Amino acid sequence: MQIRPILAALRHHKAGSLLIALQVALTLAIVCNALFIIHGRLTHLSQPSGVDEDRLLVVENQWAGKPDAGHIGSMMSADLNFLRQMPGVSNAYATDAYPLRGGGMSYGIGLVPDKLKYAAESALYFADENGIDTLGLKLVAGRNFRADEIGQIDAHSPIEPAEAIITVDLAKALFHGQAAVGKVIYLSAKPTVIIGVVERMQIPWTYSDMAKWSGNSTLIPLRQLVDTFDYVVRTEPGQVDEIASRVRAALYAQNRMRVIDADGGVLTYAQVRAKAYKNDRGIAILMSAISLVLLAITGAGIVGLTSFWVGQRRKQIGVRRALGATRNDILSYFLTENLLIAVAGVTIGGVLAVALNFWLMKQFEIDRLAPGYVLAGVVALLVLGQAAVLAPALRASHVPPVEATRSV
Amino acid sequence: MLKMTHLSKVYRTEVVETYALRDFNIDVKEGEFVAVTGPSGSGKTTFLTIAGLLETFTGGEYHLDGIEVSQLNDNARSKIRNEKIGFIFQAFNLIPDLNVFDNVEVPLRYRGMKAPERKERIMGALERVGLASRAKHYPAELSGGQQQRVAIARALAGSPRLLLADEPTGNLDTQMARGVMELLEEIHRDGATIVMVTHDPELAARAQRNVHIIDGQVVDLAEDPRFHTAYTAAAGQIRG
Repeated sequence: MQIRPILAALRHHKAGSLLIALQVALTLAIVCNALFIIHGRLTHLSQPSGVDEDRLLVVENQWAGKPDAGHIGSMMSADLNFLRQMPGVSNAYATDAYPLRGGGMSYGIGLVPDKLKYAAESALYFADENGIDTLGLKLVAGRNFRADEIGQIDAHSPIEPAEAIITVDLAKALFHGQAAVGKVIYLSAKPTVIIGVVERMQIPWTYSDMAKWSGNSTLIPLRQLVDTFDYVVRTEPGQVDEIASRVRAALYAQNRMRVIDADGGVLTYAQVRAKAYKNDRGIAILMSAISLVLLAITGAGIVGLTSFWVGQRRKQIGVRRALGATRNDILSYFLTENLLIAVAGVTIGGVLAVALNFWLMKQFEIDRLAPGYVLAGVVALLVLGQAAVLAPALRASHVPPVEATRSV
Repeated sequence: MLKMTHLSKVYRTEVVETYALRDFNIDVKEGEFVAVTGPSGSGKTTFLTIAGLLETFTGGEYHLDGIEVSQLNDNARSKIRNEKIGFIFQAFNLIPDLNVFDNVEVPLRYRGMKAPERKERIMGALERVGLASRAKHYPAELSGGQQQRVAIARALAGSPRLLLADEPTGNLDTQMARGVMELLEEIHRDGATIVMVTHDPELAARAQRNVHIIDGQVVDLAEDPRFHTAYTAAAGQIRG
């Protein structure tokens, strides 16, 4: 290896070498953190909601004419009977929210009747005896709601269910591994008995600051008789798009006194997911684009500088060839030269990547950068550098030795 | 040591063929100091680049130290250049980014020589040209004569069988040129084979033998009245 003379020669090209090293360093710092954020977003948006998304669609229904609670209850029951009898539909229920909806209720769940002393945060979902089956949730302990347990409340009624079904995650948060069924929790001053535990049901929100309790959900046996609510419809396998295309017209035919938005009033769960993670996907795409642009600029910078150096040192290359350098010696010279610059760049870049991560941790509460990302970034930039330098280095290796005798 | 037989070098374009060397014959024995002279464009430099394996030739044969070189691949030619030939260029061709020591080291590194041996050879060569004290200087810090001495040290460090010099004093003033020439003569006295291309009859006259090239062919000066008078006069002045 001819590292010492290459380093000696680089001392005479400080500005160019330093610029490329800094470019590599900045690219590494930004790309490492960008990849870390991208991975975080992709992990976030690919986590399972716990519901059988392939067979679900949701309908946002708003009653027209301000009907009273009693009337709403009867119209809702008629709708649900109608939906369950639609060909291609296997079940349906009415609720205020569902996983990934983007809106809903969250409660502090207590183990004592004191609102200020809650043990865990949880999303609260209204459900009936069809809720678990409709959503495709897996009951892992206890039982489902019975039809006679389903209460009806209006918009102003207190939420004081006698029973609840909670998720495994919430059970763990509340009881730390002890059996949850039969235990009492408090949503208000009145006790609620846990009658069942379902495997997973994600909360309606996808904000990163809620990620720590994204699996904490509570189903309560209540039907809220308000103007606006959602029907969750479970279809037969492969029927979801077909039902989604005709459910709005079918419900209008059943009862015209309603508003179902033609644009977004009926959503398949795939659309619900896409909407919920639009920002995450957008950030992942933006970060990917920034990373690719930075890598391309760095690659182009290396190609440009090396091409310039090859042109500038054409005579010198000829002299080296005349003195016995093989084509491989010349190729290896430029590859090694780039490697030395890139190693300096990634060394500085590694430190910058960690520093940038600390700053991002403080500013945006993102997680600590895993060392694997820095390592992957280092490898990627070293490979990029060698790939970028290859074409000009190959050109250099083809400079003939007779170049040594030509006047400049 | 160096034998070319019926050698030709043709530069071809779509419309014209130009013979740089035509039916070129030369035989340089081991230990000889040969000056190759001729007017501009006569083919001197082409001869030297082919002799130094910097360029290929079109036809004929070339034996260097007993090896027929026409069929050698690029790597084998590089190896011969590195191990058997020392080059001294008119423009010195030192690498400006490297100091004197590193410049002399360049061909030794390509030979894969170990560091202690490299150092010994470099310092030996620099002492021989009187520049051991300038080992850490850069070419830009040296005079033209000193730079050419470094180039000679670089050529000598690898103990080549053949030293090829292309107008070695062409870029030097008279005093410096004299010093370089004396150095070459000293190297020759020590047993080196030297082929020097020059257009300077005074320098040529100091060589053991002169070969004159005109229009890509070796001509016998003794039989050509146009050149005989001038060269013998110049040689007489120098030797006298």
